[in-house]
Amino acid sequence: MLPKFSHLRPATLREALAALDASDARIHGGGTDLVGCLRDRVFTTERVVSLSAIPELRGIAATGDGGLRIGATATLTEIAGHPAIADRFTAIADAARVVASPQLRNQGTIAGNLCQKPRCWYYRGDFHCLRKGGELCYAYEGENQHHCIFGGDLCYIVHPSDTAPALAALGAVCRVSSASATRSVPVDRLHVPPSVDPRRETVLEPDEVVTELVLPAPPAGLRSSYLKIRSRNAWDFALAGVALALVFDGDIVRSARVFLSGAAPVPWRSTAVEAAITGQALDAATIAAAASAAVAGAEPLSGNAYKLALFEGLVAGQLEAIRG
Amino acid sequence: MAKKKPADHAAGSGVTRRGFLGSVGAGAVAAATGAASRAEAVPEITDPEEMVAVALTINGRRHRLLVEPRWTLLFVLRERLCLTGSKAGCERGECGSCTVLVDDEPRYACLTLAVEAEGREITTVEGLLVGEELGDVQRAFAEHDAFQCGYCTPGQVVAAEGLLRANPRPTEAEIRTGMSGNLCRCGAYAHIVKAVADAADGRKTGGGS
Amino acid sequence: MTERTDYHIGGTPPETPGNDAAAGPWPATTVVGSRQPRIDAYERVSGTAVYPHDVSLPGMLHGAILRCPHAHARVLAVDTAAAEKMPGVAAVITAATPGADIPWYERDGGFASTLFDPHCRHQGEEVAAVAAETPLQAVDAIRAIRVTYEELPFVVDDTAALAPGAPAIHDGGNLIGEPRVRSRGDIAAGFAEAEVVVEGVYRTSCQIHAPMEPHGSVARWDGNRLTVWDSTQGVYDVQERLAAALELPRSSVRVIGPYMGGGFGSKLETGKYTVIATLLARMTARPVKIFLPREDCFTSTGNRPANTMTIKIGAKADGTLTAIEYASSGSGGAYFGDAGTGALPAYLYQVANLHAIDTTVHTNAGKARPMRAPGVPQAAWALEQAMDELAAKLGLDPLELRLRNIPATLQAGPGLPFTSQHLRECLVKGAEAFGWAEAVARPPDEGHLRRGVGLAAGMWFYSGGPPSTVVVKLHADGSANLNMGASDIGCGTKTWAAMIVAEELGVPLEQIQVEHADTATTQYATSSGGSKTVPSDSPAVLAAARSVKHQLIGFAAEQLGVPADDLVYADLALTSRSDPSKTLKVTEIGMLGRRGVVVGTGYREPNPEGSFTAPTCAQFCEVEVDTRTGGLRILRFLGAHDSGRVLNRLTFDNQVFGGMAMGIGLGVTEERVLDRQTGRMVNANLHDYKIPTMLDVAGDHACLPIDEPDHAFNTTGAKGLGEPATIPTAAAVGNAVARALGVRISDAPLTPRRILDALAAQRKEA
Ligand SMILES: Cc1cc2nc3c(=O)[nH]c(=O)nc-3n(C[C@H](O)[C@H](O)[C@H](O)COP(=O)(O)OP(=O)(O)OC[C@H]3O[C@@H](n4cnc5c(N)ncnc54)[C@H](O)[C@@H]3O)c2cc1C
Ligand code: SF4
Ligand code: FES
Ligand code: FES
Repeated sequence: MLPKFSHLRPATLREALAALDASDARIHGGGTDLVGCLRDRVFTTERVVSLSAIPELRGIAATGDGGLRIGATATLTEIAGHPAIADRFTAIADAARVVASPQLRNQGTIAGNLCQKPRCWYYRGDFHCLRKGGELCYAYEGENQHHCIFGGDLCYIVHPSDTAPALAALGAVCRVSSASATRSVPVDRLHVPPSVDPRRETVLEPDEVVTELVLPAPPAGLRSSYLKIRSRNAWDFALAGVALALVFDGDIVRSARVFLSGAAPVPWRSTAVEAAITGQALDAATIAAAASAAVAGAEPLSGNAYKLALFEGLVAGQLEAIRG
Repeated sequence: MAKKKPADHAAGSGVTRRGFLGSVGAGAVAAATGAASRAEAVPEITDPEEMVAVALTINGRRHRLLVEPRWTLLFVLRERLCLTGSKAGCERGECGSCTVLVDDEPRYACLTLAVEAEGREITTVEGLLVGEELGDVQRAFAEHDAFQCGYCTPGQVVAAEGLLRANPRPTEAEIRTGMSGNLCRCGAYAHIVKAVADAADGRKTGGGS
Repeated sequence: MTERTDYHIGGTPPETPGNDAAAGPWPATTVVGSRQPRIDAYERVSGTAVYPHDVSLPGMLHGAILRCPHAHARVLAVDTAAAEKMPGVAAVITAATPGADIPWYERDGGFASTLFDPHCRHQGEEVAAVAAETPLQAVDAIRAIRVTYEELPFVVDDTAALAPGAPAIHDGGNLIGEPRVRSRGDIAAGFAEAEVVVEGVYRTSCQIHAPMEPHGSVARWDGNRLTVWDSTQGVYDVQERLAAALELPRSSVRVIGPYMGGGFGSKLETGKYTVIATLLARMTARPVKIFLPREDCFTSTGNRPANTMTIKIGAKADGTLTAIEYASSGSGGAYFGDAGTGALPAYLYQVANLHAIDTTVHTNAGKARPMRAPGVPQAAWALEQAMDELAAKLGLDPLELRLRNIPATLQAGPGLPFTSQHLRECLVKGAEAFGWAEAVARPPDEGHLRRGVGLAAGMWFYSGGPPSTVVVKLHADGSANLNMGASDIGCGTKTWAAMIVAEELGVPLEQIQVEHADTATTQYATSSGGSKTVPSDSPAVLAAARSVKHQLIGFAAEQLGVPADDLVYADLALTSRSDPSKTLKVTEIGMLGRRGVVVGTGYREPNPEGSFTAPTCAQFCEVEVDTRTGGLRILRFLGAHDSGRVLNRLTFDNQVFGGMAMGIGLGVTEERVLDRQTGRMVNANLHDYKIPTMLDVAGDHACLPIDEPDHAFNTTGAKGLGEPATIPTAAAVGNAVARALGVRISDAPLTPRRILDALAAQRKEA
């Protein structure tokens, strides 16, 4: 049962931005995450401002320079089924396809997916943990099998989004507007690590709206993919996931962007894997080196050391698959 | 033991940073500032206590009603319109019992605010009946015994309908993926797959509705 | 009697009288045993079936219950002042409300708690409740109630609960009853005789029933008469419990529940929410509906306890078992649940020397309730994996080892003959249909994808029996009504009952209507649980139909002027054997026309003395494990089931597949997680608690009934199926995974985490 709030569903972005310029408003994309958070009293809000009736935020279209523009309220189903995305930005389609369940993909938007709240079971449950303004991270000494192995500091969530690592790997940029300004935030700089602020997930201000995502034209030789491992084959978030965006020159990896999900409080760029494969052909030795690089320096908690083997296996498998 | 003090492990590294946390801004990318153009489009301030009028099109019928913004579509269907075919299993998007079609697409009515459903075509399991006759998916579920207790069934039927509208010729793998957002604790899955495949076949050969 | 799982809450039920028509077995059947879609399929697929959760009455209020968030606490004060003033609130009830001090949770003939016990022994105990105009207002109001708790030390770990100094959950310590011992022969001598011994410790996690329809009720008073719509497995049990709690004659309590959205054992017990709804309804003089939010179903409506099972098996070199030593422990939760598992190791295989001990402890967690074959799938997880270990050590095929140890009798007391028992056929025919021999002969996989096959056997120890009363009414137009008290919890009860009437009387299925699960209008039946609805009620249905037939034959004999035993009844007509020209359609029977209806009453007669009925089964599966990711895929599953006569092949298959799905949950995906720091459940939702989806039970599912009517047991020859269907599943998966990986993972569920941890340990050893 939801707490009380008022609801606005403006027809233009301008109205939406003006409505957000109030003390305690929340943005509603598809609402799949927002409504759940409100129901679970993760937070309450005075006002919900919906983006669902704003035509300018919708759609997926090629940009003049060979890139792609994805409207903020494009649904995950639209993205998963879009031929140009499947073809040229494969990792994004791969990721959209494995989010949650069919119903949630029909409703969930791409911007909502990037901006969703963490899924730590203490945070979603009736625990006043550090991220919710309390004193203590319950996961650190508690039930942390799904928590992070990198980047934990005060809070040990993993970032829940499947599309974020894929978008980050492909160099996507968020266009962000508020009533007073517009700016660009690259997806790989959208999320806030707990070492900076454990009570905030993105760099966005409450009155800022992601209006679209812009993908640069894929360079020649680009191959990309995303795969996640989960304990149940639907609904589940990643225990571990990896997004690869590799530019090949023949057999050689010219450049690489590698992001992990299920690993860290933010989509985790694995520069170690990138370094291990850049300039190399993906032979068995390189892949083995990259797999161990993926977990070098990891700091598992009491219940999630299995993620080390998991990431190694996953990264090796995905490198083999992308090599073809 | 029950309550703990702030975690020891955090003491050195940062709870003390709390004062700093609140004030830190946008992290990596600084926000640009500009003159606010507040003059236009100041939204009317709405009151959470206030009911709002919505018009919902459900199974082809238009219903005009007053709702609280916090009412979900599922609540309106079940509690206000007595359309109890849509079931409530979790009210959190985790079971599929409440699945309805919104403009042909399956969605969870429990995560859809009623105010958000305005202007969309809502179809519930009741809307798949053809008069008093079962629709083709419903018939296939009945013939293949694609349920046990039947509680998840309306949601399964609607999900199947949505799947077939989007993909009239699904493979078995596509059926399994398409139906993966609906739990059946009785475990009638094996028969559900058969029923959906059969309903798809029926449409292929023109036997469907 | 030696073995029973008590599914009849409140003691031994009275037996019903004998039948007036002698009944022999069917010579052959045309309807029974066929594949019949359910007679209530229309209602269930169209959305028109009204489940208790759908019931809405004029003037109805909505209730919500405030629950203790702590694992162990004492309520010091409850301040309802703010809640009472909230919009829409009609009543607030707490422990202090007059009439609310109803005793609850039976123990030793008394009670250990009350409806709103200030001593909250687990997260989710009831503290207060509200009735309001809308469900949202009710929830708003309980959130406005201020409760002061004194938090108490808690214990949620089974072993820690028995440690010295553990917080006492009840006076008298945390042991529930005396440990139960099953013992025979001489265990030391048995192991001395053994040439090979295996030992192991196996664990299963706590599983939650999680039926899709939440728990709840609607209560309405008419003066001193009470009507309750309840999502229950047994309307008569609820009637009995409510009548006792509210001090009413049973006849004044009507409980209705013809449709219900699953129970699996969790809806055998009457809920506090039901009584709370009746109290709020009385306070407000309006109907009150309470349905629990899903989180409350997780914490407060039962579970299959986690078990730790230590097992040691000894055998001769030829595979003959010489001894089994078994110890199991588990938690009944904060009240008196049973966590025993010892029956299966005691009786599945022939073994002269046995010692099996079950210890059940209290912890500060929700009370256990029977869940689909209580104790047995856990025991199978241990026993059947240990049997595979033994087979490996003996160099025997696991199938062969089991075939060498098929029990001749139920090895309790001096040994009881089975009324029928086809464990051997389950194993042999199942193995053949599955292609077991070829599958085990296949060389192991080389790469990171490893396939493996596994099998496990099972036996179920609750047979069903009296009482049951069923009424069949044949109308003058040849159509029929069938009236029985049993709930149809998803097993197709109404449909097989109608099929029996169709078989016996020749009435087409479409012309049979079934009324059931209503204490005011349908006949007495025990709750649907323990896989006993078919064996308990199907003979009563048959007897009722036969009583009708018997009467019709009498009327026709008189009308045709032939002796009754000269008449043959077929296709709703009676014909003289000696003079086939003398024939009469049932609808032409004058007496039937004049009476309008012929009523036949059937009773369930007692089970035979001195024998035991036990459905048996064997399941086979093939899995593929990805050693890189710990991912486990079910490739195929086959269940061979001896449940006596198959009544409806379509729903029989469905039941077997459903049992497998739940067993896959136990073995692969499901586990309750309690936070070690607070004792609170962190995954009390359907996302973090992982019920298998269609993608998780994928693969070919096959069902092979060993369709042998057990006529020594009852007149239809049908035995139970619902529970056997889930008994061996998890164990079969465990065995398949062990074969695939060459390493045995003793703890369920087999999540990627457990598989990867086991592989890491294996690598370390190598
Ligand atoms: C049971 C369940 C399982 C799930 N499983 C997965 C999974 O496996 N993988 C996964 O990635 N996700 C998963 N999700 C999360 C999820 O809800 C979605 O993936 C979805 O994409 C969110 O989109 P939405 O539009 O519904 O978001 P909303 O609920 O509308 O919004 C989410 C958050 O983002 C903010 N927001 C929305 N739009 C904007 C915008 N344009 N600009 C700024 N802020 C915005 C909102 O204020 C809110 O805080 C799951 C959710 C549920 C309920
Ligand atoms: S991991 Fe973060 S969200 Fe979870 S309990 Fe710790 S602080 Fe809270
Ligand atoms: S009730 Fe909507 S998904 Fe469960
Ligand atoms: S039929 Fe009972 S939950 Fe699906």
